[in-house]
Amino acid sequence: MVPGPFGLDPTFWAVLRLVISVALVLFLILNGALLLIYLERKILAVMQDRIGPYHVGPFGLLQTFADALKLIAKEDFRAGQTDRAFFLAAPALVFSPMLASFVVIPFGPGIVGADLSIGLLYLATLGSMGVLGIVIAGWASNNKYSLVGGVRSAGQLISYEVPGILSLVTGVLVAGSLSMVAITEGQPGPLVNFFIIPFAFVTYFIAALAETNRTPFDLPEAESELVAGYLTEYSGMRWGTMLALTEYGNVTIVCGIMATLWFGGWQGPGIDSGPITGPLLGVLWFTLKTYAFILVFMWIRATLPRMRIDQLMSFCWKVLIPATLLNLAVTAVLLLAFPGSLVPVAIANWVMVALFMLGLPMLQQRRLRRLRARLRDRAPGMAAAG
Amino acid sequence: MTTLVPLGAFIALSAALFFIGFAGVLVRRNAVVILMCVELMLNAANLAFVAFSRRLGLLDERGSVFVVFVFVVAAAEVAVGLAIVLALYRNRPTVDVDEVKEMRG
Amino acid sequence: MSLDLIEPILFGLLAVMILGAGLGVVLADRITTSALLMAFTFLNMAGMFVLLGAETIAAFQVLIYVGAITVLILYGVMFTPQAPRSYGLFFQKQTPLGALIAALAALPVMAVAFAFRDSGRLPARGGDLVPIATSVFKDFAFPFEVASVLLLAAMIGAIVLVRRDEE
Repeated sequence: MVPGPFGLDPTFWAVLRLVISVALVLFLILNGALLLIYLERKILAVMQDRIGPYHVGPFGLLQTFADALKLIAKEDFRAGQTDRAFFLAAPALVFSPMLASFVVIPFGPGIVGADLSIGLLYLATLGSMGVLGIVIAGWASNNKYSLVGGVRSAGQLISYEVPGILSLVTGVLVAGSLSMVAITEGQPGPLVNFFIIPFAFVTYFIAALAETNRTPFDLPEAESELVAGYLTEYSGMRWGTMLALTEYGNVTIVCGIMATLWFGGWQGPGIDSGPITGPLLGVLWFTLKTYAFILVFMWIRATLPRMRIDQLMSFCWKVLIPATLLNLAVTAVLLLAFPGSLVPVAIANWVMVALFMLGLPMLQQRRLRRLRARLRDRAPGMAAAG
Repeated sequence: MTTLVPLGAFIALSAALFFIGFAGVLVRRNAVVILMCVELMLNAANLAFVAFSRRLGLLDERGSVFVVFVFVVAAAEVAVGLAIVLALYRNRPTVDVDEVKEMRG
Repeated sequence: MSLDLIEPILFGLLAVMILGAGLGVVLADRITTSALLMAFTFLNMAGMFVLLGAETIAAFQVLIYVGAITVLILYGVMFTPQAPRSYGLFFQKQTPLGALIAALAALPVMAVAFAFRDSGRLPARGGDLVPIATSVFKDFAFPFEVASVLLLAAMIGAIVLVRRDEE
């Protein structure tokens, strides 16, 4: 046991360390969410040819702060006859797994909460725990629309976990370990895992968009759908926690996973320069990579329309899951057939990415042609008009 | 070194949870609650397997391997069990096992 | 208080919560409370697994039980609403006999259970991922394949059972 500074009792120091680290992570998440909400509104505004928030503070920087204060000051509305305890517990159930996920993400060399040997499995597990909170939120609101919204959202999350975890497993096959720190340290130099398993990256990116309820899969939180889905009866800070904090926390985690698994995490030039500058540069590289992905998420939100629930479910089950299964099988077979060499795996993966990117539009064209033909047979008048 | 909890304590806890679940299956009317109690029994068995596997020095973790298969079987069983309960509910809107006594209809 | 006693304290805490939640599942007066207490039992069981040093099994427990089976049971609870009834009608007609049999069976088993002892050699904490994976894919590869066929059959069976008969 390590004695604390000023000769503190080791037991007390261990507990104090735990409390300080949880407080730091909470601070990080809350400020991160603040920054991300502001960034999102500004970036969406720029892409939509308007200005975005500019009243509060210079360049509107204090806008999110003002929003948070407003949310905290709102009336604590609880609809009557709801399951009181579940209604109050649901935001906590949705927020806690996200908070707990930050413990295994390596922010820099030696800067990680806990180097679990099952780090990626732990992250997948916590991702699946978030579904429970959403189902309870929908159920406890005593509102038909909330229930349907909650069940739909849970169905979407559960379905997209499968290709997400399968893509992670393919990444692990190449990286050789489930521990996030070991995966990061296995990618020194510029040849990061992305060049070896790009297809797993693409499928994980799509699955991550769906897992974090981001456009084009954001049906549960779309403003024009089902009132507001499972969030209908929540207002004020409960809504703020469930929607904003959890969503942006999840986005940060998922982008952190992508940065670690496929792009080398905190690796970059200048890592071993010194005892102070090394870790600082590592944190800088990790933050840059993660925020690059977050910006791509926001870019996609500004650009793409949203998918209907049946479209997104059929995309998952009929396209993504076969694709990830195929990827896993091919990668595993090639790794066994050519031990020690990652080149066949890389070639196969790039071929699959190309087929996926080119094949999907071709499939869509064929479906569209078939639908138009069917429409023409059934109602020649309608087809002539449309 | 931290004091270890004796193996007997884990097995006794597993037995207690198992018999709570067992009593629940015999005693409750709602079919979904009976399924929940079956899951409690399976959990108790898992605890016993893992405790024996980790504490009796079997270094190839065979108890834990069996637990993986128990997870698979439990998931499959809950899925099919709930499908049966829902189909039953659709035929006659009850899931009360005391009322569902005949196999007609 | 030194950290030596941390394991027995954690065990006691988790054991009390597991047994309490288990009793709550059987005796609760609302079905949704039973379902959530069952999820609580699963989480505490994962804590027990971590206490035993089986981290991978703990992660699987949360992933499968809390993440999937609890959601399934909640769907089952939501889609089979029953008319409200008095608490006595929650229990079957055979309750006194059933409870007696359970109690009579439990006593000798628990008396025997306390007699088990550890062996001398204990594996390292948290080192159970590689042995489990090796065993599952090497020694028990055939049961693994059978398990995947079982899951496929269960999935197809569940889908067929809840299909509505449309023409």
